[in-house]
Amino acid sequence: MSGFSLLEFIQQIINGLTLGSIYALIAIGYTMVYGIIGMINFAHGEIYMIGAYVGLLVITALGLFGVDSISAILLATLALSILVTGSYGWTVERLAYRPLRGSPRLVPLISAIGVSIFLQNYVQLGQGARDVSMQPVLTGGWRFGPEGDFQVYLSYMQVLIAVVTVAFMTGLTLFIGRSRMGRACRACSEDRAMANLLGIDTDRVIAVTFVLGAALAAVAGVLVSMYYGLVNPFIGFMAGLKAFTAAVLGGIGSIPGAMLGGVVLGLAESFASAYLQTEYKDVVAFGLLIGVLLVRPTGLLGRPDVEKV
Amino acid sequence: MNTFSRSALSAAVGAVILSLGGLAQAQGTLKIAIAGPTTGPVAQYGDMQMMGAKMAVEQINAKGGVNGKKLEAVIMDDACEPKQAVAVANQIVNQKIKYVVGHLCSGSTQPASKLYEDEGILMITPAATNPAITQQGYKMVFRTIGTDDQQGPTAGKYIAGTIKPKKLAILHDKQQYGEGIAKEVRKTVEAGGIKPVLFEGVNKGQTDFSALITKMKKEGVEFIYYGGYHPELGLLLRQSKEQGFDAKYMGPEGVGNKDISAIAGPASEGLLVTLPADFSADPANADLVAAFKAKNQDPTGPFVMPAYAGVQIIADAIKGAKTEDAVKLADYIRKNSFDTPIGKVAFKENGDLKEFEFVIFTWHADATKTPVK
Repeated sequence: MSGFSLLEFIQQIINGLTLGSIYALIAIGYTMVYGIIGMINFAHGEIYMIGAYVGLLVITALGLFGVDSISAILLATLALSILVTGSYGWTVERLAYRPLRGSPRLVPLISAIGVSIFLQNYVQLGQGARDVSMQPVLTGGWRFGPEGDFQVYLSYMQVLIAVVTVAFMTGLTLFIGRSRMGRACRACSEDRAMANLLGIDTDRVIAVTFVLGAALAAVAGVLVSMYYGLVNPFIGFMAGLKAFTAAVLGGIGSIPGAMLGGVVLGLAESFASAYLQTEYKDVVAFGLLIGVLLVRPTGLLGRPDVEKV
Repeated sequence: MNTFSRSALSAAVGAVILSLGGLAQAQGTLKIAIAGPTTGPVAQYGDMQMMGAKMAVEQINAKGGVNGKKLEAVIMDDACEPKQAVAVANQIVNQKIKYVVGHLCSGSTQPASKLYEDEGILMITPAATNPAITQQGYKMVFRTIGTDDQQGPTAGKYIAGTIKPKKLAILHDKQQYGEGIAKEVRKTVEAGGIKPVLFEGVNKGQTDFSALITKMKKEGVEFIYYGGYHPELGLLLRQSKEQGFDAKYMGPEGVGNKDISAIAGPASEGLLVTLPADFSADPANADLVAAFKAKNQDPTGPFVMPAYAGVQIIADAIKGAKTEDAVKLADYIRKNSFDTPIGKVAFKENGDLKEFEFVIFTWHADATKTPVK
């Protein structure tokens, strides 16, 4: 390795933040469901994968109709993808969780794994097991730094990912903090039985949680298909694992924690690739998780009283 | 019961009777299992293999079959997963199939080959290039393709002798095939006096390479050899172009199919690929190429002709040795030579081809290729 370069360091931060934004969006789905019903939704990675597929299909279809305005593409794709994956999220809750409410904790866990396997195979049969690829819709970016030397490159797509992520995170924070439904969500997360006694329709709150989580996973899916342009039915597994790690790292059950966890994980992977060897990036990512949990068993921003699976 | 369901029922009964008829007819056939990925991320290569093998079965049957019996291709999907490959091999054993043309990926061929060796099943792989597969001392294992210790040096010599990059990076996907070939390339370029500045593995299925690309850009890497398959290399090419990193890439035959252009688009222009010689350009194969074209199939894929050759060698051996016993056939194949679409082939004691040539091609954004002079 030939010395340290500040410009390279800045570029690696940009790379890490982009990756981290995606992880954070998916991680929120895990953390919200856990915060309210105290269980991990193992089908969440698959919901994200479906979001990516819908994104890719819609963008390709819009391309066929000659739509080339990037904001129109983005809005239409996000809207459709959120609609489709949101309904998948609702269905998952209705079929795999609600009928099992009150049963031992392991039962819904297993039914969620079942849903995950089902969805993976279902997409594989419907869309084929192959990689589906798409050419980038948004290219170009800004370059900083001396001409001819190493230049920091910030692509429009990376900026778009950051902007969309921040917008949706802000929206979610406002929704949870200010709206009536958000207050009900917080109440359920404090004490579901008590919230129920006080007249909150907890079943509805749980359904809304699943739909919201799925919607954010859809946003991540759309951004991924626009950024990388390659999806297959198996991308949900690894992305789900990484996002779950991000959620635990940040403190599962805590929404700001999931955002922080995602960004930390993205940066860790990026730096591991940059300053160690690329093959160590997952080792560093999961090592970081173990390290943080040893020191802070509840994660970076988790509350100490949250029970763990 | 209304008329519709009655007619549906009779149609169903008819279909059952027809399929039973098919079974009865199939009893006098010689079954050859064609094992490879028909699903999964590298199913494109499986298509090439299936296409070549099916064509061979069809043409041999059209000429009257083998010793009066028809050949029957049994397609088995291993999805290029080592675990699934073992399950497939067990199925082949249980169905008492004696001959296998497959598997495709080295990682799935190796575990499956042990079962074939133990059970006395003849295996010819048209695609698995890892040297270790024929170094196990097995008697039943053959291949109609070259090996990484031939392909790696071809690429390595070209890099060290013609390209002579000041800074070379070698990447691989940590799989048996990709890492094996990357190590061969490293060995050859180091013998040629070039020390790679970077030798790293990426993850199979990884989508984000931006950190790695930034690192290579900062190091001033000019040339990259990638050992692995097209999904990861396609994204590497695309993200390199996006970051304004314009180093040239080179890869083995695992990256040389049209999907690399579908993924990388214009970024796939100028990629160097080592591939088996384009057998479809050989004038001796003109009739065969026409037969593929007539079915709207592309005979130029690297594994099409080797798969055809695999089936043909089995058929020729059964004719020549006048036996259907797989163990005797293996001996016969080792001792004789065969005229196939990949040329006149003879095998070494370990089951490798005596001669096989890899050629360097320049890949184009429209998924065509031209040989490098």
